[in-house]
Amino acid sequence: MIPYLVYFVQFHEDFRIQELEALAKLENVKIKFNREDYSNENPFFIVELESDEDAKRLIRRSILIKHIIQLWTSGNDYPEVYKNLKSFDPEKYKPYETSTFKFMVETYNGTRTMKEQVDIINTFSFLPFTGSIDLKKPDNTFMVLEKYPAPTEPPCKIYMGKLVGSGDRQLVAKYDLKKRKYLGTTSMDAELSLIMSNMALVRQNSLVLDPFVGTGSFLITCSHYGAFTLGSDIDGRQIRGKGKTSIATNIEQYNMKKKVLGTIVSDMAHHPWRNNGELFDAIVTDPPYGVRAGAKKIGLNTDKYDAPPPTKRDAMNPRYPLTVPYEMEQVLIDLIEFASKYLVVGGRLVYWLPTNSEEYNKNDIPQHPSLKLIANSEQSFGKWSRRLITMEKVKKYEDIRLTGEGNTGHYQFRQFYFYGKDGEQKQENNKKEQPKDELESEKVKKSKHE
Amino acid sequence: MRLITHNMLQCHVKGCTKDNFPLKLEEIEIEELEAEFNADFIKSMLNRLDWKALAQTTFSLGIAQLPEEMPEELSDEMLEQLHHILLEIDITSGRMVCQGCNHVYPIRNGIPNMLLTESEV
Ligand SMILES: C[S@@+](CC[C@H](N)C(=O)[O-])C[C@H]1O[C@@H](n2cnc3c(N)ncnc32)[C@H](O)[C@@H]1O
Ligand SMILES: [Zn+2]
Repeated sequence: MIPYLVYFVQFHEDFRIQELEALAKLENVKIKFNREDYSNENPFFIVELESDEDAKRLIRRSILIKHIIQLWTSGNDYPEVYKNLKSFDPEKYKPYETSTFKFMVETYNGTRTMKEQVDIINTFSFLPFTGSIDLKKPDNTFMVLEKYPAPTEPPCKIYMGKLVGSGDRQLVAKYDLKKRKYLGTTSMDAELSLIMSNMALVRQNSLVLDPFVGTGSFLITCSHYGAFTLGSDIDGRQIRGKGKTSIATNIEQYNMKKKVLGTIVSDMAHHPWRNNGELFDAIVTDPPYGVRAGAKKIGLNTDKYDAPPPTKRDAMNPRYPLTVPYEMEQVLIDLIEFASKYLVVGGRLVYWLPTNSEEYNKNDIPQHPSLKLIANSEQSFGKWSRRLITMEKVKKYEDIRLTGEGNTGHYQFRQFYFYGKDGEQKQENNKKEQPKDELESEKVKKSKHE
Repeated sequence: MRLITHNMLQCHVKGCTKDNFPLKLEEIEIEELEAEFNADFIKSMLNRLDWKALAQTTFSLGIAQLPEEMPEELSDEMLEQLHHILLEIDITSGRMVCQGCNHVYPIRNGIPNMLLTESEV
């Protein structure tokens, strides 16, 4: 196998290697790496692959990888890099000798002026390349990547190699919420929606459901990758919109009528999906947890039903889906059970889970005997986080309830989050600390990274 | 609502377990859409479809006369017909009625409302 250097973006760190692994599976690329070498603080990561074609394919859909480079050498300073390059068998350079080329210098955590970059490039003139330089469409692009311990210090690591492929970050701008016609308070930003589609292994002809579809962010990104998509929401006004725009407007905006199959109004707690078979390749969703969605319950008179909500399994006390709170724990149980039944084997469930940073414990992640936990990526907002959970269906549905720990963890989470440790209701006070909606969360993220 | 979706929806009124599928389409308006033909997608849907229900629904709508059982071998022609049935027929309004309990699920702007009333869950 051949070593390649993966050059990640330096944010959403906790999603990067997870996306890489998902893409390796999606693209059926054989990859080897040492997880211990990976660090959230470092944008460079060395992997082993079988070919340049594989490398290219591996990251062509990546949102969190900038480039992949066939790694020729690395060193702690330039003399070491030159020495290594000079020690190679001349045969290595043969394929490149007469082709057109270009050199690029990339820096991480430091900067180089144009002049400095040119000077660095010139130091590589000992390489036996006789082809002409072509900045627009070179046959080969060689890259020098510098990593700095601090902007004021010299680089501590230098990599040199041949660029073989790039990620697809331009999609983040293409599906930017700022340009989207129909938005809601919890529309998911384009970058995370795209990452979710990758985590879900969404591909050409997948059938994907978002059971809490809202304004349809995931329909758009999943259909971008060629999936046929369906959405449902208890709130028809989310789907139809209030003014002139609706999910249909977005579908039109992105020209996806051929791929987005439609939406239905339905309650996840009492859903109408035919229950005699596996239907979906993926479920990609952002469930309505009290944290954000609680504020926008459907406008019926809830005072009438202020008694504790009867549970679904209590046959004598049917619940009223439009007017009772949908407890977080129950949302999760319903979602997980739904996925374990309705996903095809090998299909994936990708969803968000808010957790209280202080109290978080990995047992808070629900488990199910037919679903395997694939990834758990944290996006932190200080006191609370949301985690992107990826699960894969590994066994046909078995009618086993969720394991105890998961439930307990979430029950505790809900208690602390809304009521404080003493059980006293603190919902009103807590509200101020929580981002009101996705757009605001987006700002938090932006200011942190840019 | 496309017919592929219709083929996946059942009546879920509490206690309604007999004749709750397929839902009968009534007083519907249909719009024909154009979708890219994709044989692989149709093939991958075959074992997820309820064939009998599809045959019954398309027959009663006068759209197609499918064999009662799913044929073992599907000709290209048949795949194209299925593609048209499943993806290109869009029901923009009307209602779906449960043959078991008579619950009516209205369809408005192409969006079926599958919510139940308080006494039905
Ligand atoms: C966090 S939002 C999803 C936002 C969506 N990802 C988007 O991009 O717009 C959660 C959605 O769940 C819906 N919802 C709440 N309770 C529900 C239920 N019982 N069944 C189905 N949908 C429900 C809400 O109406 C809301 O649109
Ligand atoms: Zn019924």
